[in-house]
Amino acid sequence: MSAHERSPAQKTATPIWLLLVELRTPLVVLILVYAVSVLGLVLIPGEDDQGQVWRLSFLHAFYIVSYTGSTIGFGEIPYAFTDAQRMWMLFVLYASVIAWLYAIGSVLSVLSDPAFKQLRNHRRFVTRIHSLKVPFWIVCGYGSAGSELVRFLAEHGIRCVVIDGDQGRVDTARMSELPYEIDVLKGDAGEPQVLVDAGVKHPLCRGVLAMTDHDQINLTIATNARILASRVPVYSRSERDSTTRNLLSFDVEVVIDPYRIMAREMVQLITRPAAYALYQQLVDPEIRNVPEPPVVPNGHWILCSTGRFAETLVDAFRRADVAFRLISPEPLRTGGVAGMVRGLGTEATTLREAAIGTAAGVIAATPDDGDNLSIVLTAQAENPALFMVARRNRPTSEPVFTAGPFDIVLRLGRIIAQEMYARIRSPLLHQFLVQLESMPEPLVEGILGRLRAKQLPTDAHMTHFSVTLSPSMAPGACDWMSDHTLTLCELLVDPDGSPLPALCLLVVRFNGDIVPFPGEGFGLQMGDQCLIWGDSRAEVRLNWILGRRDVLADAQQRAMAIRTVSGTA
Amino acid sequence: MNTQRVWFAFFIVLALTLNFGFFWGEIDNPDHHSPFEFFLALVVSLVATVLKIGDRSHIGAVLLATSLVADLQLIIAALIWAYSSQVLGEVSPAMMASIVSLAGGAMLANVTSVILLLSETIQLKR
Repeated sequence: MSAHERSPAQKTATPIWLLLVELRTPLVVLILVYAVSVLGLVLIPGEDDQGQVWRLSFLHAFYIVSYTGSTIGFGEIPYAFTDAQRMWMLFVLYASVIAWLYAIGSVLSVLSDPAFKQLRNHRRFVTRIHSLKVPFWIVCGYGSAGSELVRFLAEHGIRCVVIDGDQGRVDTARMSELPYEIDVLKGDAGEPQVLVDAGVKHPLCRGVLAMTDHDQINLTIATNARILASRVPVYSRSERDSTTRNLLSFDVEVVIDPYRIMAREMVQLITRPAAYALYQQLVDPEIRNVPEPPVVPNGHWILCSTGRFAETLVDAFRRADVAFRLISPEPLRTGGVAGMVRGLGTEATTLREAAIGTAAGVIAATPDDGDNLSIVLTAQAENPALFMVARRNRPTSEPVFTAGPFDIVLRLGRIIAQEMYARIRSPLLHQFLVQLESMPEPLVEGILGRLRAKQLPTDAHMTHFSVTLSPSMAPGACDWMSDHTLTLCELLVDPDGSPLPALCLLVVRFNGDIVPFPGEGFGLQMGDQCLIWGDSRAEVRLNWILGRRDVLADAQQRAMAIRTVSGTA
Repeated sequence: MNTQRVWFAFFIVLALTLNFGFFWGEIDNPDHHSPFEFFLALVVSLVATVLKIGDRSHIGAVLLATSLVADLQLIIAALIWAYSSQVLGEVSPAMMASIVSLAGGAMLANVTSVILLLSETIQLKR
């Protein structure tokens, strides 16, 4: 017996056992009614067709009671009953039918008892989780962030187990239209037993994602998971610096603070639009097209926000040296801000006070969707050339934000989901994103230019994937590399000789060295891991090429021929 | 005094006594073995089984198992009896012997039940 089978939840009775205990009285009643009926029929003398005394045997009596009790009623066999037998049959009829109704009614009442149903569902869930044969992630909290993440994961075939304490959300999760069925457990993720039931100790559990709206619950989930299964990585959401420090103090693998990420993205948008576009394309699995850097006008920015988000935004803008004016209903706790305007930003006067006429853009990021929409509409009336960024708080407001005149919509839940997903999908991607942070803008623009030069098909479906040049993953390429050199531009070639519509963003060497944006002539080595970014069709082609030495060699020759032809022409 | 315990012990002991009454006599002589006594023994044994459901202690599990053994033996004996008397037309001494020996086996299971019941009772603190 392994450790997780000995958990207290497993010690509770099995549902069938509970059912039998509830059915004890109806069963005894049924047996006694049958016994008395059979005995009566055997004892009461009958007559055969010649008027002789004829006694029913136990077999016949049991047969008659059985078909009477089940209301089938074959009649009076083998001979017509006497009056005394008919009187007894009246008793048999009513008694047996009532006994059956009582028994069936008891079964139904037990089966429809909510507690019994919950026990049955829970046991079924636990059994299913413990028999899972594929790796899975535990997602705690099915709010806006949790549901987005589960969708991303399910669409890429990554299995997840969802825990949420709210029945409405549990139902939404169960009914959601996802390509993979997800397992949903109703319970408080902060309770250790719930985590165990969700499979935190399962050998195939890849990690626990604490995504609830409450920092304290996320913290509890993280500590519980760390103690219950120390090998399982924990990714947590955190909305306060104190929580972040607390989480990092016991080595939680990933801590995601959505406010800091939003602030960083805003600075990136203003100072390095190309990096912003590339970043968004890579982290959002639903942006499929080739990124176009947004055109951001010059001037100062108007921030309409309050609380923690205002503080992180102001902090980030100051560090990046971006000119801004803050509109906030109350002063920030972190200290005064020069030129702050008191108010919400929904009125034209406050916006004019913040010099909207000369501004580059507005970031409407109050915690109220109505206010954010109002700010953007008022600002647009004042200065139509503004760059509009609006924060969407409630998922139900999505239709207005999709249709509205916004250049960018900030969605808290989606940002958390993107960041978590980027780390779950491929560790290489996250390493690249770290490199992208400090990469000069011209270099990023150069990358986007190189991608355009590849002449991607118009219906390109951008995706990223990693390949490993190991004998098991790429036997053909490894064989070829044992007696040839292989550069990146030689690898990314279609079997017909034309270049594949893909770029290599990052190479991680076997010894751990990281090479961001390797050039075309970069020489590959055995054991290299490459992050490739391009049209989704390139993935299948490349994996095929990597497995076949003959195809690779063939493609090299054709590419060489094409290059010499274009060189001479 | 607990009424439920009274019924519990009543049915367990009654199952044994009825079965003993049926079993007693020359093994192959149908006149020594009343079908009514057999019928009552079977019914009481079934009721005793149902009453034993729900006790999740170890001794409860063994009690239930002995009862299931007794039921199984008695039901097989009943099938043989019904077959020989109704289909073959008469209960031959050989058939009677096998019916009574099956009931004897069931009685051993009943004895085990009663022993378990007694041992549990003796262990009880007054």
